[in-house]
Amino acid sequence: MNRLLSAILFLLVLFGRSYSFDLHLADFPNDDGTRIVIKWDSLPPLELANINPETYNHERAVDSPDQFVPVSLVYRSDTTLSAVDERLERGRVYYYRLSYEDSATVWHSNIAGPFSPRENWYNINRTNVLIGILITGIMVGFFILWGKKGKSFYLRPIAGLVALDEAIGRATEMGKPILYSSGRGNMQRPASIASMNIFGSVAEKVASYGTPLIFPNNDPVVTAVAQEVAREGYTKAGHPVQFNPDNIYFVTDSQFGYAAAVDGIMLRERPATNLFFGTFEAESLILAETGNSIGAIQIAGTDSSIQMAFFIVACDYVLIGEELFAASGYLSGDPQVVGTLKGSDYLKIIIIALLVIGAALALFNLTWFVNLFVTG
Amino acid sequence: MRRSFPIIVCFAFGIVMLAQFFIPSGFSSNVRSEITDWAQIIYASALIVGIVGLMKYHAIRISRRSDGWFYNLITILSLVFMAFIGFAFGRMDGSPFMWLFNYMMAPMQASVFSLLAFFVASAAYRGFQARNAEAVLLLASTVFIMFGIASVGNSIRPFSDIAVWILNNPSMAARRGIFIGVGLGTIAVSLRVILGVERTYLGKE
Amino acid sequence: MDFWDKIRHLDRRVIFILMVLGVGIPLVTRIGLPIRITPDVRRVYDFIEGLNPGEIILVSYDHDTGTLPEMIPMSDAILRHAFSKDLKIVGMALRAEGSGIGRQNIRRIAGEFGKEEGIDFVFLGYRPELTATILGLGSSIGRVFPKDDRGFLIEKLPLMQKVLNYGDIDLVISISDDDTPVYWINYANARFQAKIVPAVTAVMATTFFPFLNSHQAIGMVAGLKGAAEYEKLIGISGSAGRGMDAQSIAHLVVIGFIAVGNLAYFLGRKK
Repeated sequence: MNRLLSAILFLLVLFGRSYSFDLHLADFPNDDGTRIVIKWDSLPPLELANINPETYNHERAVDSPDQFVPVSLVYRSDTTLSAVDERLERGRVYYYRLSYEDSATVWHSNIAGPFSPRENWYNINRTNVLIGILITGIMVGFFILWGKKGKSFYLRPIAGLVALDEAIGRATEMGKPILYSSGRGNMQRPASIASMNIFGSVAEKVASYGTPLIFPNNDPVVTAVAQEVAREGYTKAGHPVQFNPDNIYFVTDSQFGYAAAVDGIMLRERPATNLFFGTFEAESLILAETGNSIGAIQIAGTDSSIQMAFFIVACDYVLIGEELFAASGYLSGDPQVVGTLKGSDYLKIIIIALLVIGAALALFNLTWFVNLFVTG
Repeated sequence: MRRSFPIIVCFAFGIVMLAQFFIPSGFSSNVRSEITDWAQIIYASALIVGIVGLMKYHAIRISRRSDGWFYNLITILSLVFMAFIGFAFGRMDGSPFMWLFNYMMAPMQASVFSLLAFFVASAAYRGFQARNAEAVLLLASTVFIMFGIASVGNSIRPFSDIAVWILNNPSMAARRGIFIGVGLGTIAVSLRVILGVERTYLGKE
Repeated sequence: MDFWDKIRHLDRRVIFILMVLGVGIPLVTRIGLPIRITPDVRRVYDFIEGLNPGEIILVSYDHDTGTLPEMIPMSDAILRHAFSKDLKIVGMALRAEGSGIGRQNIRRIAGEFGKEEGIDFVFLGYRPELTATILGLGSSIGRVFPKDDRGFLIEKLPLMQKVLNYGDIDLVISISDDDTPVYWINYANARFQAKIVPAVTAVMATTFFPFLNSHQAIGMVAGLKGAAEYEKLIGISGSAGRGMDAQSIAHLVVIGFIAVGNLAYFLGRKK
C-alpha cells in the first residue's frame, strides 16, 4: 500500500510539474502595437531540475515557427517571470519559446503563439490626467461663460499692479523713460504671454502720458509680438504716430550678453521705472541691483520661485507666483480672462482638499490614494 | 481671416497634441513626431527673424549716427565676422570660430555672470535687515543655510542638519505651493490660448 | 551722519573689494576645507556605479558659457566616472552655446580614457525648441538627429545602432543653468519613464528638491559643491574642490556683511 501511494505521489509530481511549465503571451497594454509580453511559470522546468541553469535564451520567430532567433537572456533570478519584446512590427505574427543548451542538454519550452501585437487607442494609465483636465476645463469653461453673461468677479488688489500707475506717473513727472523687460522666455512660455498682456496695458498708459518706453528683448519672436502689442496700445490710446518701433528691439539671446546690454541701457538712459515681467534666470539680480543703484522704482513678476526671491530683495513690488498670470485679467478686466482666474481659484480649493486627504491617509500608511495620481 | 486663421490653427494643434497624450497608437506617435519636427523648423526660422531685426536696429542707429553708434557698428561687424569665420573655416575643435568662442565669448559671459557675486553681497548687506519678525526669520534661515550648506558649517552637524531641515521642510513646502500656483496659472493661460480667449500673441487687432 | 549710519550706507565699492579679497585669497592660498557628501549626490554616484559596462548615458549640455566655471567641474567628474566604468556616452545640447561646450568637454575627457568617437561616445549636436526635441527623442533619436555633430549619419555609427529612443538609454543627465531639467522630467520622465538627473547651478538647486522628494529625479548634482562632492566620491582632486575653498570663505564674508549691516541698523536706530 505504501509503495502504491509513493508511486502515485511520484507520478503526480512528475506529470503535475511537467505540465505546470507553460509559456504564454499577452499584448502589452497601452502601447503602439510594437510590444508583446512573454510570461512563464517558475524556473527551472522539470526537465532541467537537476541542472537548474543560470540563464535561458528567449527566442522569437516571425510569421512561422520555423526559424527562431535569440532575443535576450532570461535569468533564473528574475522574479518577474516575464519579458517584454519591443520594436515589433504591427500586423506580423510572432512565436516565442525559451531554450537552454549546453554540451549535454538541449531543451526548448512549448512554443507560444501565433500572436500579433495590438495597438491601443487609449492609455488607461492616464485616465486620472483626463479626469483632471475635464474637471479643469469644466470649471474654467463655466466661469468664462458666467463672466460672458455679465457676472462681475472680485479680484483682490495686487500691490504690484496697483503700483503700476504710480510707477508710470513717476517716470512721466521726472521726464525719464520706462524700461520694460520680459526676461529670457520665448513666446511659448505662459510667463511671456502674461508679460505681453501687462506690456499692452503699460503701452496704452505710456502712450497717453507721452512717456518714452524702452523694451530690449532676449527673444526675436517676443520682439515681434511686443512691437505689435505696443502698436496696438498706442493706437487704442489715440496716439499711433507716437509709437516708435526702434524702442522695442532684439538685443541677443545670450543670457549675460542681454544682462550686460540692459545694464548699459539703465546706466545710460537712467529710466525712472523698471518693469520686469516674465521668465528670468540668473541675470535677475544683476538687472534689479543695477536698477536699484540708479534709484529707479522697480516692479517685477516672474514664474521662477528662485528669481522671485532676488526680486523681493531688490525691487519695490513683486508679483508672487500666479499673480503674474492674474495680471492680464486684473489690468484688462476682460470677464473671460477673469473667469479663468476664478476657475483656477476653485481648482486650488480642490487641490488643497486632495492634499489634506492624502496627507491624512499617509499618516496611517494608506498610500492607495497617492497612487491614484501616478501616471503611466 | 487674419486673426481667425491663427486662432483656428492654435485650437486645432492644441487639441491634437492634448489628444495625442492619451492615444498610444503608432499613428498618434507619428503625428507627434511630425508636429515636433515642424516646431523645430519654425523655431529655427524665428532665429532668422531675430537676426534680421537685430541688423536692422543697429543699421538704423549707425545711419543716424545716434549716441554710441560706433558700438552698434562693432555689434554688426562682430556678428558678420563670427558667421563668416564659422562658414569659411568650420566650427570644429581648433578652428578660429572655436578659438573666439573659447577665449573671447566664454570669458566675457563668465565675467558678467561673476558680477552676480558682488550684487548678491550688496543686496544681502542692504536687504537682510531684521526690521520685523518675518525679516528675522528670513535672516536666520539665510545664515543657517549659507553656513550649513555651502560653507565650512557643512561639516559641523548641528548647522548642516538645521540647514537641510529648512531646505527640506518649510522651504520645500513654500516652493511646492508656488509651483502649484504657477502650474495652475500656466494651465489657465494655456487653456485661454488654445480656446482663443487669449490673443495677445497675435499682436495688432 | 554718525558712524553707524555711515556703515549702514556703506559704499557698494567697499563691499565689492571685500568680496574680491574673500574669493581671491582662498583661491591662491588653498585651505582644503572638508567636504561632506550629501545624499542627493550620493544617489547619482550610486546609480552610475550600478550600471554595467556598455550601458548608455545621455548627457545634455543645456547651459551657456556664463556658467562654465560651475558646470564644467561637474560634467568632468560625471564623465570621468562614466568612462572609467566603460559606459557609453551620447552627448547633445539644447542650447547653441552648449553645443560647443559639450563637444569639447566630452572629447577631452574621452581622450583621457582612450575612448573612440562613434564607438564609445557620440556628440549629436544642438537642436532648437527644447520641448519638441525632448519629445522627439522619445520616438526616434535618429529622426531628431539624423547626423552627429561631425556630419556622419548616425545609423552608420556603431554606438547609435543600439540607441533608438529613451528605451535604450539608461540615464539622462541634464547639465543646465536654468529650469530645462524640469522639461526633461515633465516630458522624458513622465511620458517615457526615462531616468533623469539634473546637474544644475547652485541657485537652481532648490527648484528640484520637490522632484527629488517625489522620486521623479534620481538625484542631483548642484553647483560647485555638488561637483566637489562627486570629485571626492570618484577620488580625484579637481577644480571644484579648489573652488569650494573660495566659495566657503565668500559665504562667510556675506554672512559677515549681513551681521555688520544688522548691527549698524540696530545701533543706528538706538541713537
